[in-house]
Amino acid sequence: MFKKILIANRGEIAVRILRACRELGIKNVAVFSEVDRTAPHVRLADEAYSIGPAASRESYLRIDKLMDVARRTGCNALHPGYGFLAENPALPRACSDAGITFIGPSAEAMEMMGAKTSGKQLARRAEVPTVPGTDEAIENPEEGQALARSMGYPILLKAIAGGGGKGMRVVPTDAEFASAWRDAASEALNAFNDPRLFLEKYLIGPRHIEVQIFADAHGRVVSLGERECSIQRRHQKVVEEAPSPVVTPELRKKMGDAAVRLARAGGYTNAGTVEFLVDADLNFYFLEVNTRLQVEHPVTEQVTGLDLVKLQIAIAAGHRLPFAWEAITPRGNAMEVRLYAEDPDNNFFPSPGKILSRHAPTGPGIRLDEGVYEGYTVPLEYDPLLSKLIAWGNSREETIARLRRALDEYTITGIRTNVSLFRRILTEPEFLRGEFHTKWLDELLARPSPPVTPPRPGTEDASAIAAALWHTARASSAANANRTNSAEPSRWKSEGRRQQLDRTP
Amino acid sequence: MKLEVHLEGLSGAQTRVVELQREGERYHITLDGQAVNADAIEIAPNTISVILDGQSFVIHATPSLDGKLKLQCGPHEFSAEIVDPRVWRGRKQGAPEVEGRQQIVAPMPGKVIRVLVEAGENVEAGQGLIVVEAMKMQNEIKSPKNGKVERLLVKEEQSVNAGDVLAWIE
Repeated sequence: MFKKILIANRGEIAVRILRACRELGIKNVAVFSEVDRTAPHVRLADEAYSIGPAASRESYLRIDKLMDVARRTGCNALHPGYGFLAENPALPRACSDAGITFIGPSAEAMEMMGAKTSGKQLARRAEVPTVPGTDEAIENPEEGQALARSMGYPILLKAIAGGGGKGMRVVPTDAEFASAWRDAASEALNAFNDPRLFLEKYLIGPRHIEVQIFADAHGRVVSLGERECSIQRRHQKVVEEAPSPVVTPELRKKMGDAAVRLARAGGYTNAGTVEFLVDADLNFYFLEVNTRLQVEHPVTEQVTGLDLVKLQIAIAAGHRLPFAWEAITPRGNAMEVRLYAEDPDNNFFPSPGKILSRHAPTGPGIRLDEGVYEGYTVPLEYDPLLSKLIAWGNSREETIARLRRALDEYTITGIRTNVSLFRRILTEPEFLRGEFHTKWLDELLARPSPPVTPPRPGTEDASAIAAALWHTARASSAANANRTNSAEPSRWKSEGRRQQLDRTP
Repeated sequence: MKLEVHLEGLSGAQTRVVELQREGERYHITLDGQAVNADAIEIAPNTISVILDGQSFVIHATPSLDGKLKLQCGPHEFSAEIVDPRVWRGRKQGAPEVEGRQQIVAPMPGKVIRVLVEAGENVEAGQGLIVVEAMKMQNEIKSPKNGKVERLLVKEEQSVNAGDVLAWIE
């Protein structure tokens, strides 16, 4: 086992990895940028080293600085967390050059499976279903239309050079194909100076369901079940759960087997996530592989009873996965909400700043993975994720009730958070029935907010009393401070009095 | 102490008169002239527990930039303006400009990227004082009155929180 691990990350995930190190009795080293001197991961680590200015490209993204710290402190392994360099093959390469174990897949597996096109090609070879369509440019609209007819409408036209929705058109019927092609091609030409298009089948209201896999260095690959991640705001997951309300044991087996086949084909090791789109008829299509630990890994931990970070470390150290895990089944239900420092009343604008007070929920079935504390100033330089609130229970209903209860207990003042978004989602009948897809939340937010439940009687009275009490306590302490600090009377006050006396009625 | 509390929430605005009279450790509380069976205590900084006729409420108070107090009671939010009728409030109507020494506060958390004035400099109402950048947006903070920069409390490149005092204008 490793003696010392460098944690090449910050925030809640750095704290998460630190805790695993502590439990395993492994020494740990944190790194921090100038603005993160007061961050919790620095306080909790055995050792901590500054690696430069706030901008991440000058600190958390600097492989040379990370390697320097690892060498100086005698680390024999490095955990990248998620984000930053976690999916950059240059990091595992630098690690192996420096004789340090990278806790994650090899650089080659990362390249082959992480990139969208090579991942898709690998999926086809491993007979994992992909969204029907072409990878390469289509020569002319006639060829495209013939293909679309054979595939069945609706289809999606996409620019080869595309991104950001430019040069993208949904074609609902054959009659609309020609004009959609013209529009998409000219848009692509304007945006990317490349009019070439390809097409794929357009899935209506798909779900985003992903499978957690683990592979050891001895050829064993297991699936730890799926996570339902369809609740997204502008492609950003905000609520995740395990198991998915629509996945049957048969489908779980089929998706798990497909994910395992893919990992084997790619020579994958360590933790990975295979993302799928699932249509209304429960057909699943490969989307992409995330070659790292996911933000939402705790929901899998809660239903499997496994510690995925410790497992990652053990596999990197050469340990074997137990044989019995090839048939692991989830127990109960777990759900995570991502609490961000953002203002839901102002278009989810980031709202960094100082946390004046904070009360964290506790009690049965509640877990809080967080990277903040009372008095902490949330920096504006990084992702505004504050905490992940995770609940679990025997049933989905119990989990949701616990999560709602915990959200009511959770208070944070000084900054705005998106707590109210979850209060709303967790009461929506469609959500409660498990009927949603990847666009569901965006559609929900486009609708007017439901009328607010009136506060219980006495709320206004109690609030008025609280305001008066708050003011009184501040006013009397300010008066005391004035009395002791200023020997001479305030000129401002005396001028005010003079003006008041001189005032003509 | 007798206070007027202007409370604004989603259900509308209202003005309540709260009188607090200290009785040992606690307060005797009167609401709109009526004595109420209420027990209020600040259990943690900015966290106030109120038991009103046996009903338990917890209210979180956050001072906001416009001088109002933001109150959070469970999922409900209120904005409160507290007025002490004994304190002279100045001539609100018809005043050509704000009077007295003015605090210049940061409207949002960010970084001071430019300081446009020096301490001791005379400034006019509307003149830019300090530029604060937050989330790639630059915000020029202007002087609310004619006067003199009495104190400058920030330097360029300094990070500031919402509500931090940046300068005083005399």
